[in-house]
Amino acid sequence: MAAALLAGSAVRAQNAGLTFDDLAAQAAAARDQGNLPRALELYGKAEELRPEWAEGWWNIGLLQYSANQYGRAIEALNHFLEIQPRTAPAMAVRGLCEFETGAYDDSLRDLDQAVAHGAANDAQHGPILRYHLGILLTRAGRYIDAMAQYKVLASKHVEMAELPLAIGMAGMRVKSQPGDVMEQDRQLYEAAGKAAYALLADDSKGADTAFRELFARYPETRSLHYFYGMLLFPHDRGMAVEQFQREVTLDPANELATALLAFTLMYVGRYSEAAPVAERAVAASPGMELAQLALGRSLIETGQEQRGMELLNQVLEHNPKSLEAHVGLAAAYARAGRKEDAYRERMVCLGLVG
Amino acid sequence: MAWVCGTALASVVLAFGGASAQEKAAAPEPVACGTCHLGVVNAYAQAPMRHAMEPGNGDPALQAHPSLSAQQNGYTYTVQTKDGKSTYTVTGAGGSLTLPLRWILGQHSQTWVLEKDGRFYESMVSYFAKDQSLATTPGDDAIVPHTLTEAMGRELSIWEVRNCFTCHATGFNPEEEPAPEKLTGGLNCERCHAGADKHMADAQQDNFKSIPKSLKKMNAGETSDFCGQCHRTWDKVVREGWHGPATVRFQPYRLANSRCFDSADKRIGCIACHDPHQQVNRSEAYYDTKCLACHAGGAAAVKKSAAASKPAAAAAPVGKACPVAKEKCVHCHMPKVDLAGGHAVFTDHQIRVVRAGEAYPN
Repeated sequence: MAAALLAGSAVRAQNAGLTFDDLAAQAAAARDQGNLPRALELYGKAEELRPEWAEGWWNIGLLQYSANQYGRAIEALNHFLEIQPRTAPAMAVRGLCEFETGAYDDSLRDLDQAVAHGAANDAQHGPILRYHLGILLTRAGRYIDAMAQYKVLASKHVEMAELPLAIGMAGMRVKSQPGDVMEQDRQLYEAAGKAAYALLADDSKGADTAFRELFARYPETRSLHYFYGMLLFPHDRGMAVEQFQREVTLDPANELATALLAFTLMYVGRYSEAAPVAERAVAASPGMELAQLALGRSLIETGQEQRGMELLNQVLEHNPKSLEAHVGLAAAYARAGRKEDAYRERMVCLGLVG
Repeated sequence: MAWVCGTALASVVLAFGGASAQEKAAAPEPVACGTCHLGVVNAYAQAPMRHAMEPGNGDPALQAHPSLSAQQNGYTYTVQTKDGKSTYTVTGAGGSLTLPLRWILGQHSQTWVLEKDGRFYESMVSYFAKDQSLATTPGDDAIVPHTLTEAMGRELSIWEVRNCFTCHATGFNPEEEPAPEKLTGGLNCERCHAGADKHMADAQQDNFKSIPKSLKKMNAGETSDFCGQCHRTWDKVVREGWHGPATVRFQPYRLANSRCFDSADKRIGCIACHDPHQQVNRSEAYYDTKCLACHAGGAAAVKKSAAASKPAAAAAPVGKACPVAKEKCVHCHMPKVDLAGGHAVFTDHQIRVVRAGEAYPN
């Protein structure tokens, strides 16, 4: 203790009379030499002299983060972001620190913003940011957004030991964090995550084989077919239909899977099959846009144009830019012989996607 | 004996033509599509859709050009045809890989499906009839191969395999592992006329009740959706967000963007101008009559339309007559688009008044 006090007074003596520029230069030198305590002290003193010095706060934040002093890093980065509010790297580091301190909502907000502003675009930091963001999005129930982050990683063939579990959890809609998963579930989620990773990394055949093995191993497990269906949907709706059908068979009360099945059947033009499923989906979740769209278009194509159009117009009241609602209305007008209205709706659609 | 359609008909007819009266009486002649629909079956034997996919051997274009080669991305591609058998070789990066052409997709320009280690690949180069040479397969220009296999071709995803064989072949079962050896190349009758096989089986028993749905009765919208299963529907293109000149290949989509498109009017449907059982009609005069079916214009046309014997025709709206010409309509209203990298010229089916120098709409 006495030695520390003596050392402290020696340093104070050393700092006496130093200008801000001296302190900043010495802090940078200490940082470059890997003398973390000295660098932190000097940056701190420089900030006492000039608290609006953003670079100092940034360096303190980074150094504290490196030293696993997440709370202190957050404090420093708070100062930095007050001075330079929209700096993506600072939001990213603060987000990672918040993650470590368990401030998950704050972490999600920061990492979401940071990635949106390009912080994940470099090959070195991108994977760690996207991985953490994916976990937080999953925890928040934003599974599709989480999968979008993992998709970026898989498409670049980024390999991280923790990634399959995280992907599996997002795909199977497990609103939790990897550390909280029970051991008996971990194997399933990891296997599902590996299968999904294969598909996201453009190995569709490998993914298909892996998913089919999983279906054989876990024939009664819910959300597996849903997961594969969601992965297939952007590529082949016919194949997605098959998976959603199996999910609904396993879990008839699954409102989302029912709505997705209805929507996908509608999407592939199997309107008469879609209509009763969509009716069930709308009855279960009257406000679900997916279900309304499925039912609206299916009714239009099966002779109940009036009710179908009402449903699509309901969607447009809440979401005027719903492409699918406009596509459906174009079809409705065409069927009704309203050629000009059909043309107008088609042009609206082209405007939306153009 | 399996039911047969199309090109196989002639051999079937010949085979049974020589049977004695006694033999005929003993064994009833198998019914084929051509038994009753001989004209359309014979015509369809030469139609493009019938040849949408062919086995990799014995192709006339490749036989006429037995040694084709191209260089690309540091690799050399050669397609050799000898004794009716064609092989595809890629050489580079210190190695060489030769595979048989598994299937030929396309009748004029050709892309090949290759098979390696149980996986399917789209050949990195294709044969273009217009240039009579090999060049990069459309859509693959941006690929920079890192291995010999990648240089050979782009691995097809399971859904691409499904889509390729669904539209270019008959008999593909999406429920099963793709087995090209079980496929019939090109589209046979059953592919569009679902129920044709049952109809033939029933006809064998003098039962003519199970007639496949008539496609002639479909209106323009229904026809677009039907043909659009492979040629891409308007819904499909819009939902995928595809735009730009490449969409010229998706005729149902382009047609539906036309101001004059009316789903209920058969005169603007695909089969109003194109008979899928025939070779493509290249006569401009032929297409002029199709345009004039709506755009003859003037009071005389209205009178003629109103006086038509069929009620549907009587109610059919009459489009404005063209103030410029009554022939070669497509020159001004359906321009040709030379697609970059496509090595082919496509007719834009978005019917409109084309202004000189205007950008490709959408």
